[in-house]
Amino acid sequence: MGKEMIAMLLAGGQGSRLYALTEKLAKPAVPFGGKYRIIDFPISNCVNSGIDTVGILTQYQPLVLNEFIGNGQPWELDRLYGGVHVLPPYQKASGSDWYKGTANAIYQNISFIERYDPEYVIILSGDQICKQDYSDFLRFHKEKGAEFSVAVMEVPWEEAPRFGLMVTDENDKITEFQEKPKNPKSNLASMGIYIFNWDVLKKYLEEDEADPESENDFGNNIIPNLLRDKRDMYAYHFSGYWKDVGTISSLWEANMEVLDPEHSGINLFDDDWKIYSRNSGMTGHRINPGATVENSMITDGCRVSGNVKHSILFAGVKVEEGADVEDAVIMGGSIIKKGAVVKHCIVAENVVIGEGAQVGAMPTEDEKGVATVGAGVYVGDNAKAGPNAMVRNNVKDGEEQW
Amino acid sequence: MVGSNATALGIVFPNMYDKLVPDLTSERLMASIPFGSRYRLIDFVLSSMVNSGINNISILVRENYYSLLDHLGSGGEWDLARKNGGINIVPPFAQKNAGMYSGRIEALENILGYLKSQKEKYVVMSDCNIVANFDYNALIDAHIASGADVTVAYTKTELPQNAREADDASKGMYYTFDLDGDRVTKIYINSQTSGEKNFGINIYVMDREFLIDTVKTSFVNGGVYFERDVLLNRLDELKVCGYEFTGYVSRIDSLKGYFDENMRLLEEDNLDKLFDPAPVYTKIRDDNPTRYVSDAKASNVMVADGCVIEGTVEDSILFRGVKVGKGAVVKNCILMQDTVIEDGADVEYVISDKSVTVTEDKELKGTDSFPVFVAKRQTV
Repeated sequence: MGKEMIAMLLAGGQGSRLYALTEKLAKPAVPFGGKYRIIDFPISNCVNSGIDTVGILTQYQPLVLNEFIGNGQPWELDRLYGGVHVLPPYQKASGSDWYKGTANAIYQNISFIERYDPEYVIILSGDQICKQDYSDFLRFHKEKGAEFSVAVMEVPWEEAPRFGLMVTDENDKITEFQEKPKNPKSNLASMGIYIFNWDVLKKYLEEDEADPESENDFGNNIIPNLLRDKRDMYAYHFSGYWKDVGTISSLWEANMEVLDPEHSGINLFDDDWKIYSRNSGMTGHRINPGATVENSMITDGCRVSGNVKHSILFAGVKVEEGADVEDAVIMGGSIIKKGAVVKHCIVAENVVIGEGAQVGAMPTEDEKGVATVGAGVYVGDNAKAGPNAMVRNNVKDGEEQW
Repeated sequence: MVGSNATALGIVFPNMYDKLVPDLTSERLMASIPFGSRYRLIDFVLSSMVNSGINNISILVRENYYSLLDHLGSGGEWDLARKNGGINIVPPFAQKNAGMYSGRIEALENILGYLKSQKEKYVVMSDCNIVANFDYNALIDAHIASGADVTVAYTKTELPQNAREADDASKGMYYTFDLDGDRVTKIYINSQTSGEKNFGINIYVMDREFLIDTVKTSFVNGGVYFERDVLLNRLDELKVCGYEFTGYVSRIDSLKGYFDENMRLLEEDNLDKLFDPAPVYTKIRDDNPTRYVSDAKASNVMVADGCVIEGTVEDSILFRGVKVGKGAVVKNCILMQDTVIEDGADVEYVISDKSVTVTEDKELKGTDSFPVFVAKRQTV
């Protein structure tokens, strides 16, 4: 029996604007929100929406992602028919190719999709933080009798020129698509989440592949071609929390918003829409005598003896006596040693911040940078990393990096 | 097989000692008592076996085992969802001639056919009232080296108070040994003398064939309890050896003992001793991280995921999904899964079972020697 809808998740993005954080892993594998990785959001959305077949298209630094996804058991996607499949580019009888663009990545996996004989395919992006019910999106798609639907968010008009915009009529039918226009005619920004009727998608993918001029991209090629042919295209309005965490500051900001679910709209504490992830398997966390913890999120395996304020600690983080952690995102296994001051920054996995070291600084009027320390880096005793530092290599005791 | 202990079969007795903690076992059995913020007692036994390469494990349940079935599921979380071996849960009346058992001999007699059809050379047996990160390979190695018929694990400890009182619940529960070298020369049941003893932790290893023969013989002669009717009765003819376990051990023998053994884990040193040797697996709940809201105060606590803390918590252990409201004060408490302490409530020396609610501004206080217990799903 065919599946009604399967999901194809684009997870090949390098995330080059996350610099040190994506040196050894793809952007969708970047840790988020205390115990998750970014990709947990679209995958959990799929499962919570009743989609049990998910293809994950990987390309850049796939090792961490491959291991993380594994057989899909944490998301209950270890299924007899369907389940989660990691789909890297592979060699075929007629040659092999890297994924040239988002559309080409799907094109190269047509045979994967055909195994499930779906009516609809939803194309997802692996680098957004969003809780969304895709079954409601599909309901909309069916009600409109659409061949293609795109999820859109209303953005402030002044920001509209940064986005791909959908111009629609009063029935949400798309009449025009503007990619980062100077003079926007709409403030409905594409979220990069599409539902296609599979027969339509397949036809356009094949056409696109045959066009040597094409960039093989959904936004630049497939959607304009659909419009050219006056296909039935609709815009589905989404009004929940949505954040593209493609930059250090937006990633930091989204983490901070998790700390304030009452106002930010991103609520990880919702039992009806759980975000699933691979578990660390560590013991409950410890708050030792003398520690202070305020307005923070702390997970299994953490040991806190210092002061933690408005911060997120991932699994197994240690904060020693007298250390000050504020407005910080500290990823799994990192150690903040005695007396270190770690503020307004992102510290990646398995970092050691030496005794008395200083990383980042609270923002001032003209200095709002988020300091970043890459995975596995050692910041020596009494070393200093400035508020805009992007620390990729070890910093020796007492040295400074700005 | 490479790197795995395909030579030993595991047998777990999840109901032994249920009577010692009647409050905690009113709706469950010893094996599924929550412990150490996110575990249940059986997690330590299963994880230790799995970490020792033992992955064919039978659990001989007797009664009150719904919570255990719910906890174990397919066994995947302990890597025990296997085609070969894995978890084998044996309820009473599983076969036509198998009824409720009262002692190990009866329980094992119920599964003789199963025992005969297995391939492993050795059998290890364990109860669930002992919390330890136990290396079964070391035990099996010692057993092979000494050529013993049965090897029993013990720790050097003093007996708990209720061993000597020997009321109905603790009667025949505590076995201590005299040793000559590693050879057990005398076995005592609920010894009345004080001081440090070689105190059995009810973990045994023996040859599977030996176990089958022994169970058959003993059962025919009316044997019920393995320790009394086999080890003690036949000590002259059998070679019974001791294996001292020197790792961290918690023994659950009373409600107060349960309270104390949880609290001992608040010392970081103890926590490391119990969890560092090898990982301990448990059922995953997919809770979000614990959230400390602005006015929260926490000191000397162990807290699992999924909690929301708005009040003050001190010297306590919080299981998954506990809520502590604004202005609430929690001191010296063990709050099991999904306990809710509402705004302004004040609790001290309380053990709350799952899904307990302490309503707004209520005060509930026990003492160090007599913690208050609130049963599952009760509202105070």
